[in-house]
Amino acid sequence: MNLSSRMVIVLTSVGLISGSFLASVGLLTKERIALNRQQETEAAIVTVVPGTTNSQIVYEEEGFTVYEGKEDNGNLAGFAIYASGTGFQGKITLMYGTDSSMTKIKFLTIIEQRETPGLGSKITDVEAFLRYWENKDMSSSLTLHKPAASSPEELAPTEVNTITGATISSEKVLEIVNLSLERLRNLKKEGKLSSEEQDAS
Amino acid sequence: MIDKTYILQSSPHFKDKDSVPKIMYVVILSLMPSFLTSVYFFRFRAIALFVSCIGACLATEALFLWLRKKPKHSLLDGSAVITGLLLAMTLPPSLSLDRAVIGAVAAIAIGKQVFGGLGHNIFNPALVGRAFLQTAFPVAMTTWIPPAMLKVNTVTFATPLDNLKFQDAVAQGTLTSLKDLFLGNIGGCLGETSALALLLGAIYLFYKRAIDWRIPVGIICALTVFTGIFWLANPDKYASPLFHILAGGLLIGAFFMATDMVTSPITPLGSWIYALGIGIMVGLIRLFGGYPEGVMYSILFMNTFVPLLNRYTRPRILGERREK
Amino acid sequence: MPAKSIRAEYLKGLWQENPVFRQLLGMCPTLAVTGAVINGIAMGLATSFVLIFSSLVISSIKKLIPSQVRIACYVVIIATFVTMADRFLAAFFLPISKSLGPYVPLIVVNCIILGRQEAFSSKNSVGRSLIDALGMSSGFVLALLILSSIREILGSGTFLGHQVMGAWFKPWLIMIFPSGAFITLGILLAIALVIESKAKQRR
Repeated sequence: MNLSSRMVIVLTSVGLISGSFLASVGLLTKERIALNRQQETEAAIVTVVPGTTNSQIVYEEEGFTVYEGKEDNGNLAGFAIYASGTGFQGKITLMYGTDSSMTKIKFLTIIEQRETPGLGSKITDVEAFLRYWENKDMSSSLTLHKPAASSPEELAPTEVNTITGATISSEKVLEIVNLSLERLRNLKKEGKLSSEEQDAS
Repeated sequence: MIDKTYILQSSPHFKDKDSVPKIMYVVILSLMPSFLTSVYFFRFRAIALFVSCIGACLATEALFLWLRKKPKHSLLDGSAVITGLLLAMTLPPSLSLDRAVIGAVAAIAIGKQVFGGLGHNIFNPALVGRAFLQTAFPVAMTTWIPPAMLKVNTVTFATPLDNLKFQDAVAQGTLTSLKDLFLGNIGGCLGETSALALLLGAIYLFYKRAIDWRIPVGIICALTVFTGIFWLANPDKYASPLFHILAGGLLIGAFFMATDMVTSPITPLGSWIYALGIGIMVGLIRLFGGYPEGVMYSILFMNTFVPLLNRYTRPRILGERREK
Repeated sequence: MPAKSIRAEYLKGLWQENPVFRQLLGMCPTLAVTGAVINGIAMGLATSFVLIFSSLVISSIKKLIPSQVRIACYVVIIATFVTMADRFLAAFFLPISKSLGPYVPLIVVNCIILGRQEAFSSKNSVGRSLIDALGMSSGFVLALLILSSIREILGSGTFLGHQVMGAWFKPWLIMIFPSGAFITLGILLAIALVIESKAKQRR
């Protein structure tokens, strides 16, 4: 057997054997990985839209997904919006919930972030940051309250709080939310958020 | 046995009375006005920080000299004292003493001795110590207290540059007045608050010719031009060049840190490039960066280029031809 | 190369030819994932898994592989094991897989693994390659464990998530950042050099 045909045979067989191994490993773990991801998203949806027992995607694009949360009895509990964007040091992924008529933000939760530990990472802190996002008016863009307020009562319905020493991280979260609110309003206007439309598309 | 050895060395043969300790003590003396004003403004906190920083620097230096089996007398050449003094001056007055000690140990150990001691370090040791603390304790390093003179009832107090960056001070009209900046009645690091005291020290340094005048002049000119362009274009959004010169750590950085003999270029052209680089970096960070202040990072950044600058700005030897 | 005892073959990976402290290989995961001990251990074990199985496979088929295409074959085999490790972590250890991020797939380019195949497994018997891979893996896990312990204790005041420092201790955040990784690794390398030179003097 000459050298070049030996090389081809060896490389091909190594590739084939590896490929078949990987295919079987992929099959074995696929379900489990999908389940993990789903559980993570569902947990986040329940946090931002309390009372949800059943959720489904109503709209999806890159880095922006709208979920519809339904209660046990089938009533609409609200919508959960998943959005991501760049933070001060890396990607921030967050989710917020709205009421069923999409007028108010109910809760905000940060799914993933890489902000400065101790400063920017306070965006995951309920006391310092997240509680200032409850019941915000979503009909227009939100703004930051500077300097930081010490209680949610000090803020206007369209204002959210700044974290002392981490203005940029606070701004980035606000930016991601504002951008997704913009998309959401457009979608609503185009009527793409009702379940019937979803079936058609 | 021959007692005396004949020294054989190439020209130049002229001698100068300058020695390392002598220059170091000139620098220490020139820092005295700032030292006194910081004690005046921040009282006991200032003294405690100075003592712990200088003490920790000397102790670390002694430890390393002992470990590396080097002569002990270089402990008294004043360089460790200056590192401690300068480090303390760049710390917020409210910083706890144990953190200040950690910074001082980092300054001498990581900033100076790992490179081989005085004369071999690439970065200004005091700034390495400060950079270490800034990264290790970002919250404590950006929490400020008002000077003792100001009878204000707040626990924390923003620096003029914090105001500028995070509160839109220019648009709000709450920018700190130039008079306060000049005298030092503001929040900030121990030694950077009073521009007047720093300038007094700088005049003494110039008088003694202990520093290269090109470096502070270059830094200030570059920053003036850079911030001036933006200020002229939009005075409602950007602060004036004079504000930028007087605020924050620019003066202490330009006169006392960037001019460190070991970590600044030796040729005139190199000094100009180095100084302009620092000035522009400071402007870039203050106007467009994430941090309100950028003097420390700018100087550390340009420190890295010093060996390169020394190499490429070396004057041609008389009669040498340019290689083709 | 004179044949070493099996013991010496294993022990050389721990100290004399320690992949991190003596050969300076695999710096990328060493610096990137050692902010917490659990991540360091997980990375060490994942790399060990890949190293041991690739060494076994490659040393047993070394005669079949023409030398012209050996690197391509090694990379395919290593990549197979890396992908298996990655899928396994994602399926059963989600939090660890998330915090290790892209560094698990990047084990493919970890020079320790390819280096051992090229320098050892392709020339030695299956048994010896296994011992060598075990030694190198232990050395790598040990290095990651030391580095991540220092960084987690100083950077968060915890060890494996348990508070070990008293309330007086304020975490040095720099130790969690890349800069802290470089500083710690530099100091450890210096200590390793000092120990080695002292040992040489004694010999």
